[in-house]
Amino acid sequence: MGKSETPTLLQGTLDLLILHALQRGTMHGYAIAQTIHLLSAEVLKVEEGSLYPALHRLELDGAVKAEWGVSDNNRRAKYYEITRQGRKLLAAQHDTWGRLSAAVQRVLAS
Amino acid sequence: MRRFLLKLRRRRRLHDDLAEELAFHQDQARRHGNPVPLGSTTRITEASLDLWRFAWIENLWRDVVYAAKGLAHSPTLVASAMLSLGLGIGVNAAMFSLASGLLFSHPSVHAPETLVGVQLGGNSHVERRIFDFVRDSRIFRDMVGENEETLANYDNSVTTRPVFALAGTKNYFTSLGIPVALGRGFEPRDPDEVAVLGYEFWRKEFNGDPTIVNRTIRLEGKPYSVVGVLPATHRTLVGFGFAPDVYIPAYLPDTILAITARLEPGESLAVARERVKAVSERIDATFPSEFKYARTISVEPVGAPAVLRGQIMTIALFFALLLGVVGLVLLMACVNVAGLLLARASTRRRELAIRLAIGASRGRLLQQLLVESALLAMLGAIVALLLAGLAGVVVERLELPVPVPVRLHIDLDWRVGLYAALVTTIALATGLLPAWQTVRDAIAPSLRRERKYRMRRLLVVGQVATSVVVLATSGLFVRNLLAAHAVSPGFDVTRTLRATVNLPTAAYGSSAPIDAFVDRALAATRAVPGIEAVAAARTLPFNSNTHMGMPVTLDSGEQVEMRFAWNAVTPDFFRALGIPIVEGRSFTDNDRAGERPVIVNRAFVSRYLANRRPLGMVLQWGPPEDRLHRIVGVVGNTKTLTVAEDDQPQVYEPFSRIHNDRRTLQFVMRSGLMPAQQLNALTRAMRAVEPNAGLQVATMYDSIGLAFPAEPDRRSSYGIRGTAGAPVVGGRPLRRDVVFGRPAVARDWRAHRPRRDWRRYLASRGRRRDAAADHRDNARSHRRAARHATALDVPREGTVFD
Repeated sequence: MGKSETPTLLQGTLDLLILHALQRGTMHGYAIAQTIHLLSAEVLKVEEGSLYPALHRLELDGAVKAEWGVSDNNRRAKYYEITRQGRKLLAAQHDTWGRLSAAVQRVLAS
Repeated sequence: MRRFLLKLRRRRRLHDDLAEELAFHQDQARRHGNPVPLGSTTRITEASLDLWRFAWIENLWRDVVYAAKGLAHSPTLVASAMLSLGLGIGVNAAMFSLASGLLFSHPSVHAPETLVGVQLGGNSHVERRIFDFVRDSRIFRDMVGENEETLANYDNSVTTRPVFALAGTKNYFTSLGIPVALGRGFEPRDPDEVAVLGYEFWRKEFNGDPTIVNRTIRLEGKPYSVVGVLPATHRTLVGFGFAPDVYIPAYLPDTILAITARLEPGESLAVARERVKAVSERIDATFPSEFKYARTISVEPVGAPAVLRGQIMTIALFFALLLGVVGLVLLMACVNVAGLLLARASTRRRELAIRLAIGASRGRLLQQLLVESALLAMLGAIVALLLAGLAGVVVERLELPVPVPVRLHIDLDWRVGLYAALVTTIALATGLLPAWQTVRDAIAPSLRRERKYRMRRLLVVGQVATSVVVLATSGLFVRNLLAAHAVSPGFDVTRTLRATVNLPTAAYGSSAPIDAFVDRALAATRAVPGIEAVAAARTLPFNSNTHMGMPVTLDSGEQVEMRFAWNAVTPDFFRALGIPIVEGRSFTDNDRAGERPVIVNRAFVSRYLANRRPLGMVLQWGPPEDRLHRIVGVVGNTKTLTVAEDDQPQVYEPFSRIHNDRRTLQFVMRSGLMPAQQLNALTRAMRAVEPNAGLQVATMYDSIGLAFPAEPDRRSSYGIRGTAGAPVVGGRPLRRDVVFGRPAVARDWRAHRPRRDWRRYLASRGRRRDAAADHRDNARSHRRAARHATALDVPREGTVFD
């Protein structure tokens, strides 16, 4: 796997992506990774090594809630759900991201 | 907080949950034909788990476990550190608790801050009628009286001996709100014959029997019903650890009482003083006499802290000195442990270097090392608490070498806990130094050698310096102790015995039977084979002491304000104690009538009669009918309370000429045999004269040997409030006797204790240096005695001290 094929995520953006994905409803870790993968037109690949620590960190921060449930294929799976606090965090991060990317764009366009 | 709870809740299943979650993920990926390589599961697990952990706590715990394992490999280090720190911290905590208990704790009463001690006319105690007058004036919310210097004869069906009783008014327990351990205190509705036992008395005399309440004990020849027992931690109003054996109602009409009163909440001392002043003036109007109660009054808070307020600087200094000394011990312990840790660090250089290399931070290493020293400090603290507890037990059982019952408590209360914690922190801080040094060494190994040596040198220098200070201090203490032994008390303590007799109240209400008893007792003991001389006395040096202070008129008409120790003795007193008669004569049986003779000591002559010939001089004091006192003899000086004191002026009167109202009598005997061999014979002889009397016979050496180490003035140290000035009640001088009967029972084994022999040996060695001076002194007094040859004996022995 070449390094250039999958652009690595900017620090901090993973939280934003996870929270954004969870806006669509509760889902388990794999589904979150898949959602981000598909929504990014298969450009972004979320590494599990970052995904789970990030999820746990968000849970500890109170941005998401985790609960054990049963998956479509009848297996126990941990489902994550965005909380109100999570939505606030998402809005804030969305904002920051917007300003940051615009700024980067401007720099590159000049 | 939420995080904390969440962490707590999840903790237990954390690992399994994470494994399951990851397994599910991999499974899904495989199922969708999208096997994303998960990478190192361990790393993910660790990263996620770390989030859920209480990182620093768990690191700390791991450090503790690691340190414990490490320390377990060096038991010698642990043992010596535990011992050093344990001793250092323990001694500190014990000393602190002792000092705080002795000096700063309140008496065991309800609301001690509203209690005041009231003194009228400068007297610590007042007569019953005065007490009643003040009480009936109702100027206080409540008022109790106590006489803490009463001796009561206790009969345990084998023998009768005097015990220390606190005689209190019947509302003593209820008004003061004194907590009891068993039963209750006595109450106003109780009969006169009830008693509350002090803890030590109960423990020793009744083996701490819990069924003692409602049983009967024999005091003063009468059955007393025990109503309660005080707790071990009881603190009396007098304070300073003073702990009487029994508490009984003060029913005898002649018991003088110290007044303790309870103020209304918020009532100021100034207001109380105004009222007391007004009442005193009414007393003076009601009982007209030379003595004016309103002259000096005092209303002061009770308890040791209040008593000490006037001398707080002295006390603080003393306290600081003690803590300084034990602090040095702690310092030595800390330096010792720091040295040990430093030595240990050099063996761990490799380990630390490896840990640094694999990414441990400097702080992390420091934490590890500090945890280690904290562990040592805590182990030390545990040893310290055990030691302090042990010291508490020992101190509580300790018979202090003072003639009043004093009990010390080492209470491990919050103050001591705080102090111990502080001290432990200091000990912990010593771990910081070697730890820091070690980590620095590991980081910059090139500088290692030189720095470590410098540190070690510093430690060694510090240790040697403190050791020298401590050694020098203790050396000085020992030297003082020996010097104290070398000082002669002015009378013979090796060939003499003493007996304390406390006559029963019932048969000895007036002076006639008391005088008769003295004559019979003297005859009976003189008949004991081997006894060379016997005398009775009002007080004995080092045991009790009566001071008088008053204007005395000399022959010349000049009036001199004098203060002197006062005693009344029978003719053979000076011969029995080996006190040299320097000039004139001793008393004789002819002194029973006629002119009132007195004998003074050399210190009296030099202080008050300088350049005058003392013999034949007439001193005037006291009531008009016996105002004239003619000096018939001058005797050598004797120490009265401690050997450390300066020689004090002393006046002796014939025992037969004083109004003998005191039922406690002292006898001294000079024996040609070893005094210890005479104990039984003398006890039998005395018993035969009055079987119902409380009696203690002991050799003089056993009785006062322990009074020899230098001590501060006892009157102030034990809080017995002595009288200043010369109170005269109803035309007669009111003699304030500061009574220190010594509760030492005649036990043969004590006489043969090797320690005593050692002390005697040291004492004799110390004296040898002064032998020449002694000899000169004695030769001089012999010459002088020969010049004024009288019919009376001059001590036959060359030296005062054997």
